[in-house]
Amino acid sequence: MKILQVASLCLAVIAPAIGTFTGLSASSARAANAGEPIEIKGEIIDTWCYLSGVMGGPDAVVGTAHHTCALWCAAGGIPVGVRAEDGTVYMVLKVKGEDALAKTDTLMEIQSDVILAKGVHYVRDGVNYLVVENVVANDGITNKNHEDFGPVPGFAIPEKQ
Amino acid sequence: MGSKHIAAIVIAALGLGVVSTPAAVAEDFSKGSKAEEFGLVGEKKATFSGKVVDVLCELSGDCPADCGAGNRNLGIVRASDNKLVLVSKNAQFEFNGPVEDLLPYCNKEVDVDGLMIGEDPGVAAQVYMLQFIRNKGEAEWTKADKWTAAWNKRNPDSQGEGPWYRRDPRVVKQIEKNGYFGLGHEVDEKWRAENQ
Repeated sequence: MKILQVASLCLAVIAPAIGTFTGLSASSARAANAGEPIEIKGEIIDTWCYLSGVMGGPDAVVGTAHHTCALWCAAGGIPVGVRAEDGTVYMVLKVKGEDALAKTDTLMEIQSDVILAKGVHYVRDGVNYLVVENVVANDGITNKNHEDFGPVPGFAIPEKQ
Repeated sequence: MGSKHIAAIVIAALGLGVVSTPAAVAEDFSKGSKAEEFGLVGEKKATFSGKVVDVLCELSGDCPADCGAGNRNLGIVRASDNKLVLVSKNAQFEFNGPVEDLLPYCNKEVDVDGLMIGEDPGVAAQVYMLQFIRNKGEAEWTKADKWTAAWNKRNPDSQGEGPWYRRDPRVVKQIEKNGYFGLGHEVDEKWRAENQ
């Protein structure tokens, strides 16, 4: 019995370590899972500008100030996200049965809007992903931060001819 | 086998480095990278090998042909640690994503060079800017700059002056409908009157 206990302990120590050594992390085991149902309220954002800081701080690259750039990035195939009220960013992979990069108007129509969505949440290696099954409510664009920042980037609104 | 023998095996394994902490095997992905730097948030050069995957397929098992044929977000399952790296950007400077550059390598092993950016994994996210790609082990790199050429091919009726994002039909449709700030043309005109 004592030997069995020691052997179990050894396996418990060695097994995860071998996984680390061989590169077979826990993510292998959880690849292709069912995800978790989620209801989430947040703003539809351009994730590249938001995460990279390429155009300024996070307050400037959301809302009305960044609306045109968000359209450009969504049309450009950069991942669209939902920034939840607690700041968590969810990468949108599908909306109402449509793949996120489908060349349609579905995601374009809701750029910068604050939505309440029901869907499925996946998380892997520190990134949150979201399959939006239904947009339950849409408050439209509520963050009128162009009053503080103007358009971001500044050339988003062309000079009037 | 007695408990002393088992303990000896564990000690031997430790000595061989079989049992190690994740920190001890954390790889420096910047080694050998020739990626251009931009000073972005959390930016780190990163060159590594891995498999190009359809992210939703990898997560959920929902796997259309050809990694979604350009309609799906793509990523790379890094070979050394099996982490799924979301690729968000290619090497162009015109609001371009990476799908056109990754799609030819769908489900293939590749080497990539670029930048990891972002901080605070779990709340925000860390994502990858792809700058160069090649089939694993090949000598020549291919620059990740295919997006605009692909857009031109898809949009023969939208050719003209200015960059693609000023002419893209889906962008133009939204701006015509709701203006540059998304609140209607009156708001745009008010801002223009005060600032231009």
